[in-house]
Amino acid sequence: MKSYKAIIGLFAMAVITATVLYACRKSFLTREPIGQLGDADVATKKGVEELLIGAYAVLDGNYNGFNWQSSCTNWVYGSIAGGDAHKGSNAGDQADINPIERYEGLPTNEYFNTKWKAVYDGVARSNNVLKALARADVSDEDRVRIRGEARFLRGFYHLEAKKMWNNIPYVDETIDYVNNNYKVGNTEDAWPKIEADLKAAYDSLPELMAQVGRANKWVAAAFLAKAYMFEKKYAEARPLLESIIASGVNPRGVKFDLEPRFQDNYNAETKNGRESIFAVQASVNDGGAGNNANPDQILNFPYSDQGAPGGCCGFFQPTQELVNSYRTDANGLPLLDGSYNTGANQVKSDQGVAAGADFTPDAGRLDPRLDWTVGRRGIPYLDWGNHPGVSWIRDQANGGPYSPKKNVYYKSQEKVLTDGSSWTNGLTAINYILVRYADVLLWAAECEVEIGSLEKAREYVNRVRERAMDEQSWVKRSDGTPAANYVIGTYDAAWTDQAAARKAVHFERKLELAMEGHRFFDLVRWGEASSTLNAYIAYETTIMSLLRGAQFREPKNLYYPIPQRQIDLSATNGVSALEQNPDY
Amino acid sequence: MKKIYHHFVAGCCCMLLLLCVNSTFAQKKISGKVISENNEPVLGATVQVKGTSTGTVTDVNGAFSLTVPDASAILVVTFVGYKPREVTVGEASTLDIQLETSASSLNELVVTGYTTQQRKEIIGAVSTVKADELVAVPAGNAEQQLQGRVAGLTVLTSGQPGTTSLVRIRGFASFAGNEPLYIVDGVPTFSIENINSFDIETTTVLKDAGSASIYGARASAGVIVITTKKGRRGKLQVTYDGSYGWQTPGKGFSMLNPEQTARYTWTALRNAGKVEANGNPTHPQYGNGVDPVLPDYILAGDQAGVFEGNPALDPSLYNVDFNKGDIYQIVRANKAGTDWYDEITRTAPIQQHAVGLSGGNDNSRFYVGFGYYDQEGVVLNTYLKRYTIRANSEFTIHNRVRIGENIQMAYRDNPQLTNLNEGNAISLAYRMNPLIPVHDIMGGWAGTAAKGFNNPSNPVANQTRAKDNKGHAFGVFGNVYAEVDLVKDLTFRTSFGGGLFSFYANGITSRTYENSENIGNDLLFENAGYGYSWTWTNTARYQHTFGIHDIKALVGIEAIRDGAGRNLSGTGLNPFTNVVNYRTLTTTQSSGRTVASDGSPGNDIFSIFGKVDYTLMDRYLISLVLRRDGSSNFGIANRYGTFPAISGGWRLSQENFLRNVSWLNELKIRGGWGKMGNQRIDLNNQYNLYAASASFAAYAIDGSSTATFEGINKARIGNPEGRWETNITTNIGLDATLFNNTLDIIFDWYHKRTNDLLYNPELPATVGQVTYPTINVASMLNRGIDLQIIKRGSFARNWRYEANLTLTTYKNEITRLAEGVDYFDGNSFGSTRIGTFTRNQVGHPISAFYGYDVVGLFQDDNDVKDSPEQDGAAPGRFKYRDVDGDNRITPADRVFFGDPNPRVTSGLDLTIGYKNFDFNIFLYTVQGAKVINYTRWFTDFFPSFPGQAISDRVLDSWTPQNKGASTPVFEDVSNFSTNTQPNSYYMENGAYIRARNVQLSYTLPNYVTKRAGIERLKVYVQATNLFTITDYDGLDPAVSGVDTNFGVDYGNYPLTRQFILGLSATF
Repeated sequence: MKSYKAIIGLFAMAVITATVLYACRKSFLTREPIGQLGDADVATKKGVEELLIGAYAVLDGNYNGFNWQSSCTNWVYGSIAGGDAHKGSNAGDQADINPIERYEGLPTNEYFNTKWKAVYDGVARSNNVLKALARADVSDEDRVRIRGEARFLRGFYHLEAKKMWNNIPYVDETIDYVNNNYKVGNTEDAWPKIEADLKAAYDSLPELMAQVGRANKWVAAAFLAKAYMFEKKYAEARPLLESIIASGVNPRGVKFDLEPRFQDNYNAETKNGRESIFAVQASVNDGGAGNNANPDQILNFPYSDQGAPGGCCGFFQPTQELVNSYRTDANGLPLLDGSYNTGANQVKSDQGVAAGADFTPDAGRLDPRLDWTVGRRGIPYLDWGNHPGVSWIRDQANGGPYSPKKNVYYKSQEKVLTDGSSWTNGLTAINYILVRYADVLLWAAECEVEIGSLEKAREYVNRVRERAMDEQSWVKRSDGTPAANYVIGTYDAAWTDQAAARKAVHFERKLELAMEGHRFFDLVRWGEASSTLNAYIAYETTIMSLLRGAQFREPKNLYYPIPQRQIDLSATNGVSALEQNPDY
Repeated sequence: MKKIYHHFVAGCCCMLLLLCVNSTFAQKKISGKVISENNEPVLGATVQVKGTSTGTVTDVNGAFSLTVPDASAILVVTFVGYKPREVTVGEASTLDIQLETSASSLNELVVTGYTTQQRKEIIGAVSTVKADELVAVPAGNAEQQLQGRVAGLTVLTSGQPGTTSLVRIRGFASFAGNEPLYIVDGVPTFSIENINSFDIETTTVLKDAGSASIYGARASAGVIVITTKKGRRGKLQVTYDGSYGWQTPGKGFSMLNPEQTARYTWTALRNAGKVEANGNPTHPQYGNGVDPVLPDYILAGDQAGVFEGNPALDPSLYNVDFNKGDIYQIVRANKAGTDWYDEITRTAPIQQHAVGLSGGNDNSRFYVGFGYYDQEGVVLNTYLKRYTIRANSEFTIHNRVRIGENIQMAYRDNPQLTNLNEGNAISLAYRMNPLIPVHDIMGGWAGTAAKGFNNPSNPVANQTRAKDNKGHAFGVFGNVYAEVDLVKDLTFRTSFGGGLFSFYANGITSRTYENSENIGNDLLFENAGYGYSWTWTNTARYQHTFGIHDIKALVGIEAIRDGAGRNLSGTGLNPFTNVVNYRTLTTTQSSGRTVASDGSPGNDIFSIFGKVDYTLMDRYLISLVLRRDGSSNFGIANRYGTFPAISGGWRLSQENFLRNVSWLNELKIRGGWGKMGNQRIDLNNQYNLYAASASFAAYAIDGSSTATFEGINKARIGNPEGRWETNITTNIGLDATLFNNTLDIIFDWYHKRTNDLLYNPELPATVGQVTYPTINVASMLNRGIDLQIIKRGSFARNWRYEANLTLTTYKNEITRLAEGVDYFDGNSFGSTRIGTFTRNQVGHPISAFYGYDVVGLFQDDNDVKDSPEQDGAAPGRFKYRDVDGDNRITPADRVFFGDPNPRVTSGLDLTIGYKNFDFNIFLYTVQGAKVINYTRWFTDFFPSFPGQAISDRVLDSWTPQNKGASTPVFEDVSNFSTNTQPNSYYMENGAYIRARNVQLSYTLPNYVTKRAGIERLKVYVQATNLFTITDYDGLDPAVSGVDTNFGVDYGNYPLTRQFILGLSATF
């Protein structure tokens, strides 16, 4: 009996001992993550290259889902706030845009915070490349290139922030959670550091690269020039722009130039053409569930369930003021005196015209670029048939009668160059071009107006207009006739008055780059925001009620408010590293 | 010093030796019978030799037989509902032991941490739920059945079949991981959804550190100990419990009818000045007249607002088949109005059946339970079907070794709505314009493809299309164990248990044609995964009584792996046909597929623990607990945490000065202090991690339109310094039994502070968009009172009653967040279109409501002029409180205007019996809770989504003639003063009183049932949720959510009435 007890006693001890030994193995309390990589894994050639792809991947502003707030196209901050477009849709949907459109955006508006998070995620990803690169074993050639690309991207993302907020924190690879230095202040001017990044990229990147979507030497040059333009450093910008115009090539070695057809800049089938200096590469049906397919623009399609592209949601509706701007005189030149907003010069709209009623579109002279920029009733909407007017509009009283067009795909491309893996058909493979050749030409023209030859400026502007004059660049009806009375010409008289020339160049940018997210930022850098936008509000209010009482105030509205959330998060002992912009 | 040590060791050895020698074996066999006061045999009573674990259970005749060491052995006879009795064996070989009915719950046996105690010995805050109370209200999840049954326990749940509830013991101690730890037959788990409640024998809730910290590692949110039924020695006993009933959806939302909707559309447009050249508003359906006109048809082809005689109404044009060309629908207007809530709901059946078999002999005992639970939800195509099998058995070898297992298998099929979501069927029911019918003229779906009704989708179509979507889950849970009585008073136990589950779901999101925002493709999804957890526990238990000293001691060692598993999911587009058996991921089109898989390595915990309970003279009690845990969730430096607890009690009623107070049966004061831990953070928190992502890191860098290059991005910032969150609880309590055991009072006051609270504060965007590290920064305080009062007795011959009142209060306060962070917003769950309503801020309770405080509506232009400057101010709109007094309404004027934490929750269970009849009513009440009725944003403001349905609240909206209104002016204007800000207008009183259960049962007389071979037969009729008294305007004031964001109603699945017939039989 005793031995029996001893046996079970021993058994029990053995079990306990086994448990202890098993559990105390160091490995028992160390559980490795599944499906993720550690610091050491990414500090390799392959790791760094893929981190770099990851840094490009947020060019679209999409870091965690369908974020129209942080769209790379700046359709809210650049186009709507610039007077190109209304929010559109109905009043309550995406109501946070309403105050932005009315220049009443509060620091607590979530749109600003999301945009901020998106650009600084881009910055952080660029820095992560540099951090891993420092520890990785890669060839010198690769190191120079990867470093150049990462610094370019870091400069690009900061430039994007600089446009929005002016007083921004500049974050480099020394900023890290473990260093506890991530509450970066915004009192130091970021321009020198942005320039340094872009300059370093320009100096080190090769011309030819393995993929067309990468930033090469000339891409860096274009953004360095853009930074100079914002800084009004025309003397520095001019030679750079001239060299891009003269000898810039894309990573495939294709010389930059204007596309013969204006509309090819907005078509997934003709993407990465010679006019595309640097674009956000969009792709569909790639396993990314639409996240690489312009999800930031899915709201910006006509509002109709059938026979219309996208199917949702009726946002981003061009303004009457923008449409009127395309009125031309007998010489095919724009009405630079502003008379396009008066009397019969105003373009006829179908506001208030019922769905079935007869409507004949405006018969007056128009710049043909209008009809690649704005969807209007009675004009072919790509291959979707004529824009039918109100039946494609969600709420005319709120957003007006027009639809956006540059972001829209062709019916023939549906399900081939659109992504079906989400609820919307509006996920497209259309690249958004961040800088195109026309952009560069018009910057060069600006430089000439400010510090050079007005005639040279005229030559640049005319190059842009000549492309639009080419009938290939016109919207045609199915019988081959122009869809409207397109009359466009070049500036043939010599430019002698700097102010007039400046006005012509600035207006050309408005027409050429409308709905592409630049307008507000251009107006601010020209110092014209207050006068132009208040005039726009005054005019547009005569047609629609939503801007009633709105006012652009300077200096407050020149820059958007620093997101309150970020100010709060940057506080130490109640003192924030971030200072709010003036007057907010 | 060294010498003393040697003496000590020698002494210990002697003690051990003595313990062994002590067990001599002059054994004696006795048999006997346990009977009740009226000489009925007591079946299932436990007969145990005191101080040993030798024991048995009486059979159906109340008989037992047992081998005892000698004549001086004392038998302890216990059975639920009877007072325990101790009998010295003496010289006799047979014993008849009569038990006295015990009305006092203070004497019941309570299963606590790793052990069993009599309630009188308990000095922690411990509550129990009786098995029959637990199953009183049918529910697909046993946790729901705890609602209102336990003082100190709050259950926030919805009416969705199979829903997971928020179960919170004494408030919220943490920002994550507030789910209590369930210990089922000794095995820890965080989900009991697969347990058949009829298999449950005891439920014990351990609320304070004194009782729960023995489970130190994961006990900070409280512990619920569940034991399932065990077999008993005796003849086979068969029980059957079955019920069948109907659930009614109740009344839906009060919306305007089509004519009113049109009229108010005109009002809104006119008020906003949105009129056409002729001075009238215009609308695709209602025309452009002075008054709106309802059309005969809302859609014919692409025309809206069509009247009879229009050639577009030619039915031969009709087509809803994409393969046959363009869609052409003809939809007749439903001028009488569609009640969309009525359309998406139904009277739904509910039934459940449970069979239990138990029996056994000296050497083996078993319990087998079969369960079937089938609840259709009141919303179309929501249901829970669950099948369970339980097999518990135990074998005794040589009287000293017991080996057994408790195993449960469950299968469930449980399609649910995403509760609290603006796109779910319930939300769509208040968004769809009533002029839209469910079907078009040919039986196709009707919807907002007809212009003018904005963008909700037809919820009946959605729910119907989802009918073949399946979500299957299969799980096994249980343990095997062995117990050895090593020597007298010392028992060793080892138990290995855990769970293994797998799930598989597939279905389709169908292409649609009837909506304004259609889904463009058939999207097929399939996902599957498996997971497991295991726990290996080894304990040694010692108990001995030396005269007036009674000692119980326990030491243990435990290894746990929790939450390990892997998942796989994929989607694909447009299979050739939508026939259910055809569609697989393989048969979808070749482009546009997505795949994903991930996994969790599991959380490993290794623990050593011990507990000593000491009782002096049966009146002074003291208990010491110590547990040390190591967790894989923390980095090497901070892996281990130590959790002590000490509690004491004094049974005053045993003292001489109270012994003779006749009305006092029991009085005990008790108190405890202790620490408990929480480590429920992401398992990967200690690591810096990078991840590939096809969505957010891949990029088509080569300009391809249909393929990307793989990219990676930083996914997580690691915190290797993370350590245990500690929860320090002080508990003071009182137990009293009065008036001849007819009144029990259990009272507890507690103070619970959580320190080093694990929380991952948002970091400035300069660190990038990664998962932020969870760090030990925050702290939180909960204080409250738990009170339970039980009164029972009879008030006339043949009449008896029992009333059980539980009362719960807690006051939660966040006392610290991180450096530089004093709030974070609750937006992790659900989201409004105007930002979040909930903010978690230092000095305020969790999930408090934050925004502008509406002081009224602007009455006229002078009011606007005289009030602080406010964007968008105009008569009839919200006037906000100028909190900082700067005469301007700015973000600085936002305040906390309420919170969803109930001040008091209470349950009153009242049973009145007359002869064989029993009437039971169970009332549950929540007081002092607030709810954000976010549905108002959609239904009370025209511009939110113009064209949608409108609440009938606007009938009393502000007009210059109706200035006293509380609903603002109805206008198509969206600005700061109307519908764009979270404000107090949306908040409503969420207090309610609900009759959770009303039941009348009849137990057939013995002489009737005996003849049919039935021991006991009870039949009953029951109504649950019979009435709810509340001011809340939405469907149901019980609105759940997640801890940091609850109490916001985005479309809550309501608890609805059930009418049930039931039967309970024992054979």
